[in-house]
Amino acid sequence: MMGKSDRTRRFNELAEAYSADLYRYAMWLCGSDALAKDLVQETFLRAWRALDRLKDAGAVKSWLITILRREFARTFERKVPLFTDFEKVSIADDGMEPDDKTERDLLRNGILKLDPKYRDPLLLQVIFGYSCNEIAEQLGITKSAVMTQLFRAREKLKAQLRKDGVTGNVHELF
Amino acid sequence: MSMNFSEFKKLIGADPLNRDPETLRARNSAPEFEAAASKAEEFERKLQSALRIKAPDDLLSRVKSISDKPARQRNWIPVSLAASLLILVGAAGLVWKQSQQWDSVESYIADHYSHDGNAAVEKAKAGVPDQDVNKILARLDATAGKELSGLIRFVKYCPTPDGRGAHMVVSTDQGPMTIIYMPKTRVAEGEEVIFDQMHAVLVNLDQGSVAIVGEESQRVDDLVVLVRDSLKTGIVGA
Repeated sequence: MMGKSDRTRRFNELAEAYSADLYRYAMWLCGSDALAKDLVQETFLRAWRALDRLKDAGAVKSWLITILRREFARTFERKVPLFTDFEKVSIADDGMEPDDKTERDLLRNGILKLDPKYRDPLLLQVIFGYSCNEIAEQLGITKSAVMTQLFRAREKLKAQLRKDGVTGNVHELF
Repeated sequence: MSMNFSEFKKLIGADPLNRDPETLRARNSAPEFEAAASKAEEFERKLQSALRIKAPDDLLSRVKSISDKPARQRNWIPVSLAASLLILVGAAGLVWKQSQQWDSVESYIADHYSHDGNAAVEKAKAGVPDQDVNKILARLDATAGKELSGLIRFVKYCPTPDGRGAHMVVSTDQGPMTIIYMPKTRVAEGEEVIFDQMHAVLVNLDQGSVAIVGEESQRVDDLVVLVRDSLKTGIVGA
């Protein structure tokens, strides 16, 4: 078993490495700043309790994501997420052209409207930089299914932007 | 065999930043491939920008403060329970007891299973001599119906947060799973406990509760109805 100082050091390393990404992920899952913070807090609380048993450093990220996903599923078993707090946590629009900001906001709305089966793998890929194989392992589905869902997720986002009448650079992407 | 344009578009549509040699070869094979890849990357930059949100300034300090709380104290004292050995033919071994209370049922489940959960599963797989399941459960004022007792491959007494309980390994179509019966402990109904590639669901019974423990890939919920229906508790001298 690790000593207290080793435990604390290892725990702090995990917090520094993953807390921000887990928060972003939680925000996109639940849409609430307060709940996202709670989900991250609960995830790390469990990590702290289980730290001695987490021997495989390579599996920690996946383990944290799994805990957060399950905690989210449990929390929202009977509730519908509201997706209300994105303006509050938006990054500053440093130097962003108005058209680009409009496009970004439309894209965000599109992401929120995605069916979870498309949004989940997309979030794991973009936020955590997961490969298709890693996503497959995390979600317990085949790599082929992951690739199909990722492809369709992007196609749906592009279609949504077209529907919303974006005619700038994005239109040229199709 | 080289990738055709349709395959290439599907691939970069799923993974625009893919840099494996085959994809790069395809990308460089013709201008239309290169143009499609560039467009996919441009869309990806917009997607990344849309998904980028700012984590709260105090998030890291809040998370780090978790480690300021006192760590759980553990002080295992192995105790040989000779009486159990008489009842559990072939289940020789040490049982353990915690001299201090667990800080929660969740930590008990994780600690208890980590202690000998896998060993119990291995014993169940290896096959143990016939055990009188209901004789053991009767000492805990419980009884298992045929549907459940027929699945139990191994059973032994075990410590729980509130006294003696039973640790059972059952055979299911998903492989062996574990049921920990806690005769005097109430739990947060339906709560899931996650630890070390395992998970458990907590279920209250008429008297006491159970934790149904399985590997991450196993659907422990599938056993809830069976356990509720078949494990009758609070029956003195059952």
